[in-house]
Amino acid sequence: MKKLSLIFAIILLCMLATSVSSEKLRLTFDHFYDGQAVIDAVHDLHKAYPNLTTLQSLGQSEEGRDIWQLTINNPKTGKDTEKPGIYVDGSIHGNEIQATEVCLYLVWYLLDSYDSNPVITKLVDSRAFYIIPIVNVDSRWHFFTDAGDYNIGRTGMVPYDDDRDGLLDEDGPDDIDGDGQILRMRIKDPYGNWKSHPDDARVMVRVKDGEQGQWTRLGSEGIDNDGDGQINEDGPGYLDMNRNWGFKWQPPYVQSGAGDFPMSGKVTRAVSSFILSKPNICFNFAFHNSGGLIVRGPGSKLAGMYPPQDVKVYDYLGHEGEKILPGYEYIIGGQDMYTTHGDFDEWMYSNLGIFGFVGELFMSEQERYRLLKKNADKDEEWFDGTPAIEKHKFDDNVNQGQMFSDWKEFDHPVLGKIEIGGWNTFTTRIPPLFMLPEMVHRNASLVIFTAQQAPEVNLELIDITDIGNGLKRVRVRAHNGNAIPSLSAQAVRRDIYRKDMFEITGGSIEVVSGGIISDLHMDRVSPKRNRPEVIFSSVPAFGTCEVQWIVKGSGSATISYSAIKAKNLKLSIKL
Amino acid sequence: MKQTGKLFAFLLLATLSVSLSVHGDPYNYLSPNEINERLKSLKTASGVSATTHLLAKTAGERELLLLEISGGNPEGSAILVVANMEGNYPLASEAAVRLSELLANDWQEMLNNHKWYIVPVGNPDGYARFFSSPSSINYTNNRSVNSDMDDAFDEDGPEDLNKDGFITIIRQPHPEGKWIEVESNPMLMKKADAAKGETGKYRIFPEGIDNDGDGKINEDGPGGVNPGHNFPHDFQHYTSTDGLFAASENEARGILEFCFEHTEIAMVITFGRVNSLKEVPKSGRKAEADQSKYKVPERWAKRIGLDPEKEYPIKDLLALARDYTGYKELTEDQLLQWLGVGAAVNPAKGDLSYWEEISEKYNEFIKEAGLDGKRLDPQGFSSGSIEEWSYYQYGVPTFAMDFWTLPEPEKEEKKEEQAGITLDSLENMTNDQFIELGEERIDEFLKANDAPSMYTATMVISALKGGMMDTKKMAKFMRKNKKKDDAGGADEEDEALFAYQPDAFIAWQSYNHPTLGKVEIGGQKPYAQLLPASDEVDSLLSKQLSFVKELAERLPSLSISRTVVEAVSSDVYRLDVWVANNGFLPYPTHQGKRSQRPAPPALTLDENNLTILEGCARKPLGLIDGSGGVEKVTWLLQGVAGSKIKLSLQSLSAGTDELTITLTEGETSR
Repeated sequence: MKKLSLIFAIILLCMLATSVSSEKLRLTFDHFYDGQAVIDAVHDLHKAYPNLTTLQSLGQSEEGRDIWQLTINNPKTGKDTEKPGIYVDGSIHGNEIQATEVCLYLVWYLLDSYDSNPVITKLVDSRAFYIIPIVNVDSRWHFFTDAGDYNIGRTGMVPYDDDRDGLLDEDGPDDIDGDGQILRMRIKDPYGNWKSHPDDARVMVRVKDGEQGQWTRLGSEGIDNDGDGQINEDGPGYLDMNRNWGFKWQPPYVQSGAGDFPMSGKVTRAVSSFILSKPNICFNFAFHNSGGLIVRGPGSKLAGMYPPQDVKVYDYLGHEGEKILPGYEYIIGGQDMYTTHGDFDEWMYSNLGIFGFVGELFMSEQERYRLLKKNADKDEEWFDGTPAIEKHKFDDNVNQGQMFSDWKEFDHPVLGKIEIGGWNTFTTRIPPLFMLPEMVHRNASLVIFTAQQAPEVNLELIDITDIGNGLKRVRVRAHNGNAIPSLSAQAVRRDIYRKDMFEITGGSIEVVSGGIISDLHMDRVSPKRNRPEVIFSSVPAFGTCEVQWIVKGSGSATISYSAIKAKNLKLSIKL
Repeated sequence: MKQTGKLFAFLLLATLSVSLSVHGDPYNYLSPNEINERLKSLKTASGVSATTHLLAKTAGERELLLLEISGGNPEGSAILVVANMEGNYPLASEAAVRLSELLANDWQEMLNNHKWYIVPVGNPDGYARFFSSPSSINYTNNRSVNSDMDDAFDEDGPEDLNKDGFITIIRQPHPEGKWIEVESNPMLMKKADAAKGETGKYRIFPEGIDNDGDGKINEDGPGGVNPGHNFPHDFQHYTSTDGLFAASENEARGILEFCFEHTEIAMVITFGRVNSLKEVPKSGRKAEADQSKYKVPERWAKRIGLDPEKEYPIKDLLALARDYTGYKELTEDQLLQWLGVGAAVNPAKGDLSYWEEISEKYNEFIKEAGLDGKRLDPQGFSSGSIEEWSYYQYGVPTFAMDFWTLPEPEKEEKKEEQAGITLDSLENMTNDQFIELGEERIDEFLKANDAPSMYTATMVISALKGGMMDTKKMAKFMRKNKKKDDAGGADEEDEALFAYQPDAFIAWQSYNHPTLGKVEIGGQKPYAQLLPASDEVDSLLSKQLSFVKELAERLPSLSISRTVVEAVSSDVYRLDVWVANNGFLPYPTHQGKRSQRPAPPALTLDENNLTILEGCARKPLGLIDGSGGVEKVTWLLQGVAGSKIKLSLQSLSAGTDELTITLTEGETSR
């Protein structure tokens, strides 16, 4: 039996090998891609699909790493900027690594399914995808190479005086026991506030009033490098790249990590220039970890209210997203989470009028160790967001103990005899590898679903009516059957882009009047006094925009629809 | 009569336009490129070095240059002077060029402690437009902006229809018109006030045609963004010329990058239309951050057991938060951030007293220079300006000089004296003194000074009592209102300009406009209200520039001022060290303390031959007030009597110091 399966496996492997040689590139998601592996992957993807992809570096990070950007577009169906664009990025916080795998999977899946899956073929032919698998190229690189923990590496590599002592980055964490990780420190202390859990000594719980303590928690592994009596209070960084964007940016004393001024970071600047060069982008996804959330703005009260038409768009996509990603919650960042200033999605929406979601990948609740039908009793004490005992059970029995480093004694140069232990680097915010494939696929599916909802406008002639005296009334309808409008209400009310343009032209016609039809059946029109041949408007989600012209003359004429975020169309008519 | 006036003005103009530059001003201002050339080849006295740095290339491919001038102390702190950030004020750039020449040659004593960074033209593209013909008031940079959101960029700019070299105003007689001539001076226009029985007569448009046929004239001309409003404090989104987001423009970004790279900058002085010295920047803007009590977000309030509707003093909240989190080092700043409290928008109280003192000195200085004649109010700090940024975010003392505004036209003193109060005496009264006058006299006074009819004694008294108004604000408002009235409703600036330079107005000439039909073209020449008479420029600048010296001399300056060693036990000593600020200004500013800039100074004790029993070797210092303010640092040391102790003081922009003392009981004072 065993032998048989081995033979089978070998055959499978051979088939795989031949399929690679026949140019089918296979990206696997049984591991996390480190810095170099991501660079290799995007180059391999581009090499394997040179006709559908373009790959470029948008510039260099603070530490000189390239910011790779991959575009998926079929030039045979038009230039990328002539199609609605979907922007997807990951790991703007360098420790939120699996965001990159979602990007890579999305790219690979779209390209791999092209030609074989008609749904994807149609999508790729009619949309442009702009993907930046790693925004924070420096910190995500360090996450794989340096000793760290799951919370370390959020920052861009711009030194900052976190502890206000006039020195920059002088007291970061130190891997004092040399095990390649930054874990937690604790010290035996009968007057401490913590004791070991009676059921699982790896877990600490707070002592009750009057109870004898056992431990004092000492924070993350390190020494007092600058001799100020504090440990690890000024580590590498701190520019939070997701607080450095331009909409109602607030300085660091109001918003920590904001940077010196909007787009002061090299990466945020490079990425913002790229985005500004692609006005066809109509939706963006920025993947983070963790929490299992689909987040929309506003991130702060300063952003004001979003127009109700746009809220409808968000709600439609967000609620579908909650089904595509069972357990994930669709929320409003500033209201349901916490206030943020200068974040990426606020810049995209409030400044540029582009819809978008922040995808907070993975939630600790997924690390279940209980019956499915009914809730196991929850532990009262929480540790790193999960009832700690359940998390340990999950680790012990589902993940074979790969997640936790048990407490070990250590002689600390300053603190003396302590213990070091805790959850490993690739845990807590990051799913165990066996959960990765489903996570990347479901999240890529939300991107694909949303991309399918990008504005697709059809232009049709309603009627041409002879109204006497050589005058003809021409009525045209633009219909958008999708959930994303041709322009957000935000873009319209803030005059961010030129609106969609309806124009009638023809050799022998004179346009007497033109306007947007406000009520087709009652024949009510808002006339445009000047340049009536050109009408500016937009096509709402699941809706129509109807325009009319009164023209003199006969023969053929052309009606054109040109949009910044939807495909341009032409309609030939005979008067 | 009207006709001859017009004819006269026309003739005057004809002669002027032959002999003068496009602006009708014979002063030969240097263009941005000429200024750059001048600075690149600046001659200096020996021992002085002057180099230029390229801060940015503008959209119009112009160089935004910064001149660095240093002498005796090239490593010392620096003063940054930025001129003409909005690009609309030639006098500012001229002042910066002169300051550069003075520092390089004549004011070497100003280089003993500091070096100077001078940006003569903050907005080179915008300023270049000043020299273009026809003259048109547009000082945005060359970024192409689709102002009218149609299908073309920059397609509908102005045209000099009557070929007089100026883009002025078109007026078209029209039933929908809202404008009328000012009765006392038909060269000027004002908005008709229906409440005064006036009927509008003209529609007005900027001079030009509707190039793109959309029914609007000059709605999408060349350019651009005003980099002077592109800085990140209180930046305004969704305006026509402030840019898409703060620091979106190369000009602002170039200056910001330079400032953050050069943390030795201790003061920012701007030359432009803003004056922060004549009157100190206004306080009293509304913002959550300037209150002393705060609400707690609902979800947290519930958890901690507070009332989300109630406001709590920050001190109480801090104690509570420290208790709740167990984090004893939690600072007020961190808590404010966590409470979601926004940026400061009013000058910190602690700074205002310094500003007021400097303002007093400035006004004395101006009086001595004979430049204290009544003039129109200068501009205040505006949103997104470099001044707001450098004070509120960069955290350094910031002063703005404007050198000139139009003189206030002389007026007859009318019935003001009635009721025994004048606007001047009102200003000097306290609220209570004014209220004591009684309703009758107050009403009389209000009437005599043409206060709007809604201003009754009852209303004013209750406003004064309620704190919504004070006598100073009231006097200011009434003065402004009165000015308008005295000018027959004409714009205050129009009227002042007419009095100062009548030929700044072009008489209305009829013109046959392609879409508007029979119209008249005329009115104020572009830039005219920003140009002092050419023969005044020299004296305005030479008299006022030396106030820059006064400002420079007020920079903070830190030193180790005193040490006391006290024996506590054998080989154990207590060391007290005082760091003093002998400059005038505090270090950092009170706002700088809040905005966490610049980084704090630090006093370091060399640990060689010593054991520190209490204290850290390196001690960051807090805010030290000026005029000899001190901060004390204490160490408990174990060491052999008589050993040497080296103390060093570092700061980014308030000097450094070193002192070696001996570990024996005693005291040193410096």
